[in-house]
Amino acid sequence: MRDDGRKWDAPPEYSQPLTGAGVRAARVWPQRQVLISAPDVLARIEAAGWPGVVRGDSYALSLRRDRVLEVDGPPRDEGWDGRQAVTEVTDAYAVIQIEGPQALALCRRGTELSLSHPSRSVARQMFGLPVFLYRWQTEDRFRLHTPRGYGQALWQTLAAHMRQMRP
Amino acid sequence: MSGTRTETGGLIDRTKTLRFRFDGRGYAGHPGDTLASALLANGVRVLGRSFKYHRPRGVWGGWFDDPNAILDVGLDGNAIPNCQATTTPLLDGMESRAVNAWPSAARDVKGGLDLLHRWLGAGFYYKTFIWPDWHLFEPTIRRMAGLGAVDGKTIPDYVADQIHDSCDLLVVGGGAAGLAAARAAAEAGQDVVLVEDHADLGGGLYRRGGEVEGRSPADWLAEQRAAIETAGGCILSSTTAFGVYDHGLVGLATDRGFARAPRLTRMRARRTLMATGALDRPLTFADNDRPGVMSLQAAAEYLGRYGVLVGRRIVVLSNNSAGQSAVAALRAAGAEVVEADPADGPIRALGGARLNGVQVGDRQLACDSLLVSGGLTPVVHLWRHAGGKLDWSETANAFLPGAAPEGMAAIGAANGTFNLQAALEEARAVALGKPPAPSASSYTIRPLWPEPGAKGRQWIDFQHDVTLKDIELAARENYVSVEHLKRYTTLGMAADQGKTSNMAGLAAMAAIQGRPIPEVGTTTFRPPFVPVPLELYHGARRGQLLNPLKRLALEPQHRQAGAALGEYGGWLRPGWYGGKPARDAIRDEVQMARSSAGIFDGSPLGKIEVMGPDAAAFVDFVYYNTVATLKPGHIRYGFMLTESGAVYDDGVIARLGSEHFVISCSSSHVDGVETMLESWRQDGNDPDRIFVHDATQHWATLAVTGPKAREILGALVLDLNLSRDVFPHMSFRETIFAGTPLRIARVSFTGDVSFELSLRTAKAADLWAALTMAGAEHGAGPIGIEALSVLRAEKGFIIIGKDTDGETMPHDLGFGGPRQKKKTAFVGDRGLHSEAANAPDRRQLVGLSVPEGSPALPTGAHLVTGDKPRSEGIVTSSYISPTLDRPIALALLARGAARHGEVLRVWHMGQVRAATVTPPCALDPKGARLDA
Repeated sequence: MRDDGRKWDAPPEYSQPLTGAGVRAARVWPQRQVLISAPDVLARIEAAGWPGVVRGDSYALSLRRDRVLEVDGPPRDEGWDGRQAVTEVTDAYAVIQIEGPQALALCRRGTELSLSHPSRSVARQMFGLPVFLYRWQTEDRFRLHTPRGYGQALWQTLAAHMRQMRP
Repeated sequence: MSGTRTETGGLIDRTKTLRFRFDGRGYAGHPGDTLASALLANGVRVLGRSFKYHRPRGVWGGWFDDPNAILDVGLDGNAIPNCQATTTPLLDGMESRAVNAWPSAARDVKGGLDLLHRWLGAGFYYKTFIWPDWHLFEPTIRRMAGLGAVDGKTIPDYVADQIHDSCDLLVVGGGAAGLAAARAAAEAGQDVVLVEDHADLGGGLYRRGGEVEGRSPADWLAEQRAAIETAGGCILSSTTAFGVYDHGLVGLATDRGFARAPRLTRMRARRTLMATGALDRPLTFADNDRPGVMSLQAAAEYLGRYGVLVGRRIVVLSNNSAGQSAVAALRAAGAEVVEADPADGPIRALGGARLNGVQVGDRQLACDSLLVSGGLTPVVHLWRHAGGKLDWSETANAFLPGAAPEGMAAIGAANGTFNLQAALEEARAVALGKPPAPSASSYTIRPLWPEPGAKGRQWIDFQHDVTLKDIELAARENYVSVEHLKRYTTLGMAADQGKTSNMAGLAAMAAIQGRPIPEVGTTTFRPPFVPVPLELYHGARRGQLLNPLKRLALEPQHRQAGAALGEYGGWLRPGWYGGKPARDAIRDEVQMARSSAGIFDGSPLGKIEVMGPDAAAFVDFVYYNTVATLKPGHIRYGFMLTESGAVYDDGVIARLGSEHFVISCSSSHVDGVETMLESWRQDGNDPDRIFVHDATQHWATLAVTGPKAREILGALVLDLNLSRDVFPHMSFRETIFAGTPLRIARVSFTGDVSFELSLRTAKAADLWAALTMAGAEHGAGPIGIEALSVLRAEKGFIIIGKDTDGETMPHDLGFGGPRQKKKTAFVGDRGLHSEAANAPDRRQLVGLSVPEGSPALPTGAHLVTGDKPRSEGIVTSSYISPTLDRPIALALLARGAARHGEVLRVWHMGQVRAATVTPPCALDPKGARLDA
């Protein structure tokens, strides 16, 4: 029973992106994130894995063989609809976008990552935190979803690694 | 030794001068020098003192193999202790000092300790400092021992960079073999990474001299580098492969400059080629530790790489053919070189700190430098890290790589291929996965190992002062295993980890016992191969990021309200508010909550959704309590058990629809409960008919608890009837707040009227503002976890893990019904009917009261009875209740439920107090407040 508040930085202002040598990271705020689970969900919903590049503003990420995370998709009724389980998790995951020629190098500071090692799932551990990692729109732009409570830790971790990315 | 700088040659830049100091005196060197090469070029011969006897020591090796020259180095206000002079690049302005010596390495006041050597042999302190107590001597010995000194300052931003990488082929060593292999593989389309621990490529080529495949070494190296890079290969210089770990993972440390933490690369290589070369090993003879006795290989290295001629009058003692080119190069540089045969008789270095000759049999030779080569020892550390075997070679008189570990091969001198052309051919073949063509080795060696019983003090381990006599002593005392020998004598335990001493040590033990060397074997090779700063493993994962806590969306609001923040179950949460002393703040919050209401941020509470056609049967199975009968819109309290029947979690479950449940488990148990649900879903159930979604962090949960809770919620103007008849305790409603879906659960952890309001986290601040504003009108405000803990303890409500332990079962807590009556299978059922579960002396939850005026009982205190005190239970929670104005406590007590009214003794840290056993609930046992 003690006050440890001073040991933990107050939540940062996410309005300012992090910038480093050849890399930039910024919080992004999807309008909607929805978990959809069903035995045949991957057959019905096209979902991205690694290292494919997600195109379009509305997309789904493959989390496992019976689950996707739909990002900025249409509104859906929650619960079990007879075919699939749907839960809105828009605020459950903080999303950070990393881009630039050194973006992959920054990601590699957190996990073993290779464009030549594909994965059906975007779920992995990075910097010791659970994340969904994928490429978005272009080949050097990455998005990371992490449980919201770890958003600040991931943000601070990226900032710390960017400081080390000097030649 | 009287070293000098040559006019030409080496990789140094003679056009620039770097000023530096050593032991208080100023010197000059050039870019490209190491501290050792610059000091040698300045004629400095004593660079250190040995660990135990404080014997003067000069440089033995040319790179990572030197055990002697260890310096504390400072530059621009930053200091690094224990730098190897032979591997530390020289920088302008460096201030260096020999460790373990004062005032200087040349004139160390503790040098007199050497006179006592007769009484300071191996293990002397085990025998000498036993009586009366080792701890009497320990502080003094610790002060005397050790090497460099830490100055107590931190170096700003000394943080290791860490990166993961992968490749098809990792080549360790940028010498001729490594380069040839890397080029062949890269040109064949492999993704190749080559690492070299020097700043420059070339390995042993500088000391070898001569041409490489018809070209000068410089031209040949430039061509290989260009070819590798053109073919897409990557070359990392100043990078040491310091360890091989599971599944082809190789740790690489890249030097980023003085006082800057290195970069760690975790390299996952499909295949690793070990082209790490071979070291020259010492010969063991009398006074072989004198400054001026140096490795022949190192002398050639200093000449070829740094342009330093280590002496003018040189005697070479070599038992092998590898040093011929070195002898020629030294002569060409102007040295007078005499080659003596070490087999000609007993050898003794002559002179004191300044070597002036050597006695070989009857022959006495004057010299200023004695260059020694006892044979080449392949550098096989990485091979052994990976689990590769070593085979003893009689022809090479060395351990060579034998059966290969998976994904690894050795080439060049590291594989015992000492001939350059043969090494190049072998490297190119192995790089492409082909067997190398057999070649005859031109390397010859005559075995020359330590001779037991030889006269004089003959050093085996230079840094740790282990002599041949120490090995003999260890053998006499039956420390004959090399692992025991190492630990008894500290052989090979110095900073160089036995790179120069292990072969001589085990050969000496073999000779003493009359066993062949391979039968004695080697000690275990462990990473790191060279010393690396602990910071290498640390990196950015420090401070707050070492074990980051989850952070609340409302943390800014809590900070603004003066919250004291602490870790509770992996979250940073408010313990109390208002900037007051904790005790006062908690008391005030409890009183506020009991008289008006408290507003509590319970966002971490679990919100795990279970959906699907089999959801109802599934939650009935994972809960101890019957859940299948729960109607939509209602809530039930229950336990989840382990398979052995112990309480794992408690919480409430709400039914949103016929096939849709929300489990609100303990805040700290969300991940564990989700994992447990997933594992049971996939085991014994149809995973296609049950789905588990963790939506905990999508929802912020704010609880309003207290007699004014209903009025405060009324101020939110919700489209909801909050009256107790319409919205009773343990029911659930969904509505809209400020355009956002709001879930309200009427559950209570305080015993007062409570509402738990959950809405999407992005809107939490709006709800917090509305509740605190409405609450203020009723004298209500935020409460922290500490106040909540008191409030629930007043009611006898438990916290799992605090008021329960790994053996507590639900019937110990007064929830025995389902154990007797539940018909359907559930997790933990069998465990609840075991002999242990039916034991008559199970510890059961009780309350405790203390005599009037007594302070609160210590949490953790033992409840004891009998003349011979025996613990029958422990106090699990204890507080001063602000509501009751007296101490309250919860405890687990053997047969506790049947002992209400009994007076017990409470033992804690030798003090005994009295307490009376009571029911757990101390406030409003009939629950009148709950439904007020």
